[in-house]
Amino acid sequence: MSNVLRQYLSAVRSTLTAALTLEDFSSQVVERHNKPEIEVQGSKEVLLNPLIVSRNENERVLIEPSVNSLRMSIRIKQADEIERILCHKFTRFMMQRAESFVVLRRKPVPGYDISFLITNVHSETMLKHKIVDFIIQFMEDVDREISEMKLSLNARARIVAESYLLAFNA
Amino acid sequence: MSLLAPIICDNGTGYSKVGFAGNSDPSYVFPTAIATRGPASQPTRGGPPIPAKPGNLASKRGVEDLDFFIGDEALANAKTPGYGVHYPIRHGMIDNWDHMERYWEQTIFKYLRAEPEDHYFLLTEPPLNPPENREQTAEIFFESFNIKGLYIAVQAVLALAASWTSNKVTDRTLTGTVIDSGDGVTHVIPCAEGYVIGSAIKHIPIAGRDISQFVLNLMRERGEMANVPPEDQLRVAGKVKENYSYVCQDIVKEFRKYDADPYQYFQRYDGEHSVTGRKYSVDVGYERFLAPEIFFNPEIFSSDFLTPLPEIVDDTIQASPIDVRRGLYKNIVLSGGSTMFQHFGQRLKRDLKQLVDRRIEASVVASGSMQKSSGVEVDVISHKRQRYAVWFGGSLLASLPDFYTSCHTKAQYDEIGPSICRRYQIFGSAT
Amino acid sequence: MILLEAHNVIIQTTLNDKLIKPSSLDVQFVDFDGVRFRMSTADRKTVILLSMHIRCWDELVKYGAMDVLQREYGNLIVSQPEAEYNVSLSIDLEQAPADQEARDAFVRSISMFKRNALAAPFESAFAQQKQLESSGQIGELMAIHYRDEEAIYVQASPDRVTVIFSTVFREETDRIFGKVFLQEFVDARRQPSIQNAPQVLYSSRDPPLEIRDVPGLRNTEDIGYVTFVLFPRHFANPTIVANTISHIQLFRDYLHYHIKCSKAYMHSRMRHRVAEFQKVLNRAKTEVAVTERKTVTGRTMVHR
Repeated sequence: MSNVLRQYLSAVRSTLTAALTLEDFSSQVVERHNKPEIEVQGSKEVLLNPLIVSRNENERVLIEPSVNSLRMSIRIKQADEIERILCHKFTRFMMQRAESFVVLRRKPVPGYDISFLITNVHSETMLKHKIVDFIIQFMEDVDREISEMKLSLNARARIVAESYLLAFNA
Repeated sequence: MSLLAPIICDNGTGYSKVGFAGNSDPSYVFPTAIATRGPASQPTRGGPPIPAKPGNLASKRGVEDLDFFIGDEALANAKTPGYGVHYPIRHGMIDNWDHMERYWEQTIFKYLRAEPEDHYFLLTEPPLNPPENREQTAEIFFESFNIKGLYIAVQAVLALAASWTSNKVTDRTLTGTVIDSGDGVTHVIPCAEGYVIGSAIKHIPIAGRDISQFVLNLMRERGEMANVPPEDQLRVAGKVKENYSYVCQDIVKEFRKYDADPYQYFQRYDGEHSVTGRKYSVDVGYERFLAPEIFFNPEIFSSDFLTPLPEIVDDTIQASPIDVRRGLYKNIVLSGGSTMFQHFGQRLKRDLKQLVDRRIEASVVASGSMQKSSGVEVDVISHKRQRYAVWFGGSLLASLPDFYTSCHTKAQYDEIGPSICRRYQIFGSAT
Repeated sequence: MILLEAHNVIIQTTLNDKLIKPSSLDVQFVDFDGVRFRMSTADRKTVILLSMHIRCWDELVKYGAMDVLQREYGNLIVSQPEAEYNVSLSIDLEQAPADQEARDAFVRSISMFKRNALAAPFESAFAQQKQLESSGQIGELMAIHYRDEEAIYVQASPDRVTVIFSTVFREETDRIFGKVFLQEFVDARRQPSIQNAPQVLYSSRDPPLEIRDVPGLRNTEDIGYVTFVLFPRHFANPTIVANTISHIQLFRDYLHYHIKCSKAYMHSRMRHRVAEFQKVLNRAKTEVAVTERKTVTGRTMVHR
């Protein structure tokens, strides 16, 4: 892990840990409703200031806290067309399985590639620092996975081309 | 380009049946097995091999995932060092998606030689398949293979559709009870207008494999198997089951018939040792009618499971909603290789009819003979296409013009995502 | 399986089965690029009629497909092809060679039906090249519209034969994957072991010089042109010719097959990775102690 990345991740980690102070909060608008305030955006006073941690123009994290929920969106590095399509495929594949990733949002926030929604229920039933660990681990691995996929695609393409052309020699 | 025939893929636990719509038989029937590099006992959730470093390419590394065989070739290569055989489907449901995806890949490109982008596909699923499995299937077919359109049908419903070929069937209905007996397990599945009544489905742990085993036991007891090499015995038993067995109406009478005139009823089976080529022959006797009898008197084979098939069918229908029961009794459809015995349908019909009539009689008596029932019609449909009924039903449905409008298309998938496969449309029935 | 095979497995297995045990038959099936087949028996179980429909049949006939088929199958060809099909073979199982080796060769040659029909333009280009060697002119440009949107162009020149595939990718992922693959085809020749292979050129959007004047070419983002330059060494003797033709015909199918395989591979990687993430997330879940809850009557409440 390069030093720059470590700093970026530790910034995200501390911001996230700090933002994860959630409590049960019933809706002020509809009686007997209890919704993630960050999603309904119903009452301004329970929303906190959103914050962007940015590594460079292509990689950034948006953290939007509120009283009972926190939304975190990640923009993943995409250097070229191939990385863009691989990243799209990967995030889509994961969001397809959002059911089992309880904190994953099924759709990313516009301008980002993948979003997580953590509510007070999650922070009560799960260990807070482990949720943060998961997200940091995800950010760490996703870059590596995408570049590995790209490498393996190139490697495959080369083998495939070579085997095809070699067959002309036979 | 004019529309090319849709591809029908019926992937079962034991065998996969694949082919093109409009034909009466599948083009291929081969084991749902895949032989891959690496030990057979690999954990199913294991990761894919790590790709080779890009510098190290001359040795073809990096495409290990293309080094595999499917179907008969998989079993042929089972003993090749370095390969392990896997069965990606367990109990009718897909267990290992990685293997299944590659299995389909080779089915399409090597065996069917079809460009998936040009075809519609009809796949089958077992009853009570979780919708997540459908979504995953759709994900593979639309994203990896870019197919034109997909329809996932329930096997039992296709078996009902297959029975439309029987001349006993006058109206094309999708209401009926399906008895699907393959190699591993037998299901009794009630369907109402194309939808499976999930809560009433019953399973019987007796199927083809058990019958072969039973035949083997009988022949061993009689000492017939003495001159058959041990490794061939199960195969011989299977052959005897397939070629000589039939369902009798009364075991006691049948036994007496055999004893009175053994020469007429005993038959000879001639075999050849698969390795040495040595010839041998065995006498086939009582097992001819005893083999399928285990459906009707399971106590002769196992002590764990004692309910006869007709009783299970009756229970299944009684567990279904009352307004469809008549339809279920009237249209009992057989599907799968283990229902192919001669007179199987007649015997089932007779036994079931007795059960039903007895109950009606009891209720007449209970009402003090005040009320008379008009009776319940019981009918069991046997037809020529029973063995691959599910596949054939698929072939039949996919050649209807309705098929294309009932499919989920690539465009719809791209618009909505895999969740479109949770919904499906019943079509083809004339009612 | 890295390379695709040239013969049709259904024809092969069906014929082999029927040679052992003839029975009545009527099946329809396909091959790559929208080729349709029908195999049927009419009055006798031992005579199988095999019919084929190819989209670009008229073009193939123009470039001599009938001659090639005549040479390969001789009097098996039925003078009046079955309705809705372009060409039919009548195979009398009783006339098949008895010797096992000859029989295999016979079955194999029939299973190459499509390959042989498509071989015509290539064979004629190779022949033309020989003639042009002295005159120095450029041969006729042969276009084979083998799919709705895609075509193969074959042209002979004094010192080479150029084969151009136009390729269309209907989907974004395929287009990008395809680009990566095609780039590797172009670069692969740098390897010393592949120096003898045909030269490959790739251009997206702009058609290569040879076919620039062909009317009706599309000019969109998703189209690309792959040019194979075959030198005389690629068709020096009949065995090499046969090999080259079988191989080059399947280029498009080969490319698309591998694009699909890569996607399948990506899927299995992603499945693995997602399972790993799942494990990490599960570590965050706290164990909730499950206590048995009972009602007054003593029945257990089960959470479903």
